[in-house]
Amino acid sequence: MRPRRLTPNGTEGIICLMETDGGEFFAFRDITCRIGNPPRRIGASASLVAGGVLAIKAPSGAGKTTMLRTLARLHPHLSGEAWLSGRSWRTFPPSLWRRRVILVGQEPARFHGTLGENLERPFRLGAVKREVVFNPAQARALLEASGLSPDLFDQDARLLSGGEAARMALVRALLLQPDVVLLDEPTASLDHGAAEAVCRLLAAWLSEGPPRAAVLVSHAGDEARFPLVTTLSLPPGEPA
Amino acid sequence: MRPGGLNAALIPIGDWQLALAVILVLLAGGVSAAFNLGLLRSLAWGTVRAFLQLTIIGYVLVYIFRWNDPWITGGLLVLMGTVAAWTAVGRAPTRGVLGAKERGAQDRTPARFLLARRCPVIHLSPLAPLSLVSLLSSTFLVAAIVVGLVISPHPWYSPRVLITITGMIMGNSMNAIALAWERLHSDVARSRREVEALLSFGATPWEAVADSARLAVRAGMLPTVNTLAVVGLVTLPGMMTGQILAGADPREAVRYQIVVMLMITAATALGCLLMVALSYRRLFTADGALAPETGPEKTAR
Repeated sequence: MRPRRLTPNGTEGIICLMETDGGEFFAFRDITCRIGNPPRRIGASASLVAGGVLAIKAPSGAGKTTMLRTLARLHPHLSGEAWLSGRSWRTFPPSLWRRRVILVGQEPARFHGTLGENLERPFRLGAVKREVVFNPAQARALLEASGLSPDLFDQDARLLSGGEAARMALVRALLLQPDVVLLDEPTASLDHGAAEAVCRLLAAWLSEGPPRAAVLVSHAGDEARFPLVTTLSLPPGEPA
Repeated sequence: MRPGGLNAALIPIGDWQLALAVILVLLAGGVSAAFNLGLLRSLAWGTVRAFLQLTIIGYVLVYIFRWNDPWITGGLLVLMGTVAAWTAVGRAPTRGVLGAKERGAQDRTPARFLLARRCPVIHLSPLAPLSLVSLLSSTFLVAAIVVGLVISPHPWYSPRVLITITGMIMGNSMNAIALAWERLHSDVARSRREVEALLSFGATPWEAVADSARLAVRAGMLPTVNTLAVVGLVTLPGMMTGQILAGADPREAVRYQIVVMLMITAATALGCLLMVALSYRRLFTADGALAPETGPEKTAR
């Protein structure tokens, strides 16, 4: 993977394009960020084909979550670059990058209202409204596929169990039709059967429709359930 | 002028009677000591300052009223506004607030240059310039309407009207701005998870904190709105009390008070809105991500 610098006519500045011979859909190179106290600098590179899953492996506290947050541009990066379909993240407005590369955090966010209203909440944002409309039938279908009863639709989101809320957050992200989902321990609060349902749902989502990819942080070994898996071991990092 | 002179009903307070009032502070000090509130120093210092400041302004106002000069009056108003703006955010929480340098901008604000570099003793909150803009623009807009159209004194810059009216607006705006910022800051900190989730869905920083911003403006306005509802029933506002003590007809004092209440409401609404609109971006990095909560929390002394 060697990024080539090109200056296309009629555009300002330099746009970095990936060489497409490898067919990478999502890639990042030498992304470094600062974590912890005392601060350490960690870095990583990887690339993914469409439909692929990248599993990030490292011991607890090594910075897996921070790396995911950095890829979502929620945590400042010190250096490095990421590409989506060959387009550098520098050419995306940060909010648009986040809308395409959605982070599903370990602790699910719960907004005021029912589970249904929680699924609908992102559709009030300008960047989402312009592209997709909320489809309740699809939402119910995804909920069911994740092993949740559609009866929960009218349940107050604050009363959901940890596992139910985690699946709500995943469905909420998938409904937005992102290009990449960054999943932080999506099955940590799920029992064996539910975890299997979630992985099946994700595998189906990856294989259907437009090109998609997922980055996964998991202690449960979920990556074994996907066909196209790349594993990334996060190096321990150096003092910064 | 009414028969018997303007101050017919004004009962002067002598030096000894004034000194007796200090006993009241000892009462508050006793409460602080008994419950270990840590307010004794602030209380003592505050009392001394109140005595000194009010005594000095009493004399200053005599001269300013005598000079009756628009420039001197204007200068005093700007000075009052600066102190109010500074006080509003002086003890405000700034954890997770990015200064100009961290946002990658050049630090060229003249006030910062003069205060922070030449005079390192003075701590200038990164919010002070925002507070100053919010306070001055909201106060001066409302004061211009009230003094220019409602009261219309002659001359228009009459310091007797301008300074008292503007001072009352500023005092309330100051508290409202402090409350609004405090609520914005604490609510965003409390709902970090939700704010970051919204950012993940592609929200702009404004969309991500819109709920907190609404709460913040509401929090800033609430005391004023509450006062509006009970004024005359529970509280007899200071200005009206003063006019009545000075011998004014209560019916006339009431008319002034209505104008004052409404202008304070307008100014706090405007001030809070401006403060929230100007300051929310300080909670975000240049990348539009929520700034990490680093650095020690600066708490009130």
